[in-house]
Amino acid sequence: MTNMIETYHLTKTYSDFTAVSDLNLHIQKGRIYGFLGPNGAGKSTTMKMLLGLTKPTRGTFQINGKSYPKDRMAILREIGSFIEAPAFYGNLSGEENLDIIREILRLPKSSVGEALKTVGLFEHRKRLAKKYSLGMKQRLGLAGALLGQPPILILDEPTNGLDPAGIHEIRTLIRSLPQKYDCTVLVSSHLLSEIELMADEIGILNHGRLLFEGALQELKDWAQRQGLPIDNLEDTFLALIEEDNLKRGGDR
Amino acid sequence: MSLTLEQRKLKRTGFFPAFFIGGLLAASFPILNTAVRPDQFIYQPLPALDILMDANWQMIAMLNLSFLVVGSCIMYHTEFSGRAMQKMEALPQRTGNLFAAKTILLIASLIFVLLLEMASLAFCSYHWFSVDNGFWMDLLKTFGYELALFLPASILVMVIASLCPNMWISLGISVICLFVATMLPTDSFIFSLFPFAMPFQTLTGAPKVSVAPISVLMAAGGETILFGVAEAVLGKIRRNLA
Repeated sequence: MTNMIETYHLTKTYSDFTAVSDLNLHIQKGRIYGFLGPNGAGKSTTMKMLLGLTKPTRGTFQINGKSYPKDRMAILREIGSFIEAPAFYGNLSGEENLDIIREILRLPKSSVGEALKTVGLFEHRKRLAKKYSLGMKQRLGLAGALLGQPPILILDEPTNGLDPAGIHEIRTLIRSLPQKYDCTVLVSSHLLSEIELMADEIGILNHGRLLFEGALQELKDWAQRQGLPIDNLEDTFLALIEEDNLKRGGDR
Repeated sequence: MSLTLEQRKLKRTGFFPAFFIGGLLAASFPILNTAVRPDQFIYQPLPALDILMDANWQMIAMLNLSFLVVGSCIMYHTEFSGRAMQKMEALPQRTGNLFAAKTILLIASLIFVLLLEMASLAFCSYHWFSVDNGFWMDLLKTFGYELALFLPASILVMVIASLCPNMWISLGISVICLFVATMLPTDSFIFSLFPFAMPFQTLTGAPKVSVAPISVLMAAGGETILFGVAEAVLGKIRRNLA
């Protein structure tokens, strides 16, 4: 299977702090890739680099055969993104917000209604975005990413701020996206339990370094070989992080 | 670059009402000033436009600069307050185009205000003074000259607003620049080149700078280009440091 996203030695440093170190990701087309790591592991920084919001210190990447930085605009045309927190114009309604994005992407007018229906915001489309609840803002951000059904979705902790029912709904939605829209999804979280329910492949990041990449079963097999607990994946993940932290000199 | 897109982003922000009401306020100043004390002005042995500009332009320029400062802050506050700017940067468009469209919109709003003010000056000239044949040409020249002198400040306030995610910081910097401009010596050519001081000058030489208008226009053009280039460079630096 071909890789939709590939990074080559991607590195980002801020003076003496390395946020992402020598990262080589391989994300297959039509799959959901769960990007897992504790807070501050470098997940958001990596996603920002893939969107050109942050310039890599070293390394490069390819998305759908297009190289960064040469094809940045072409890459952005193929990505729907949601980074860190919802981004919106508070003075505009949900519908007007999406209409701004629609016009930049040169999509048909009907795409706004479709995206609003997909995330369950259609009834509230006329309400000002600043009056939305956190969960509704999160859905609006997701609708902005889904607009025009892009072939690649980059979603940074998309269930943050949602109630359990909302988390389940968005998780189910993300799970259905590759089949529905034939897209590739890169989704990050610091919760293995969440990623476990969504992703086909996972990448575990700690202190900017990729500790593991592969399918969940491969993680179990690999953990067993390493002598890590495998009864509960959450424990496997924690043990993996703990071991890496110890190797780094006890720095948590 | 889409002007209509930027115009739609300003919905419900108070940007357009601020320029409209502000324009009316600034335009009413020469009428009120002349109506309250006509004897002070109508007997002066100068062309009507020169008298009116000398008597009113300092206040009008101050008000116009305030509108530019407030307008630029509103424009970028809508981008930064809900983190919309980050979404815009993740879309296939150049942020330089976004800056250009916003700046053109700000200058268009300033042109509207200047037109109101010129109409007010024309009204005062016809109502209280005798007007010669060259009046309309002089008024047109004054409009063009003042518009050109406002360009550096227009771009500078936009550069400041685009650099500061916190609106109060950009507002503070611009207001300080505005007050500094009012404190600078009015008879120095060098000080008169300060972008916020430039709009206080008139074609008739007020306050007191005796430099050919063409030199001032060239300086305004140079500053306009300089600030435009500065925005492009600062945008690149900001992205590299992000």
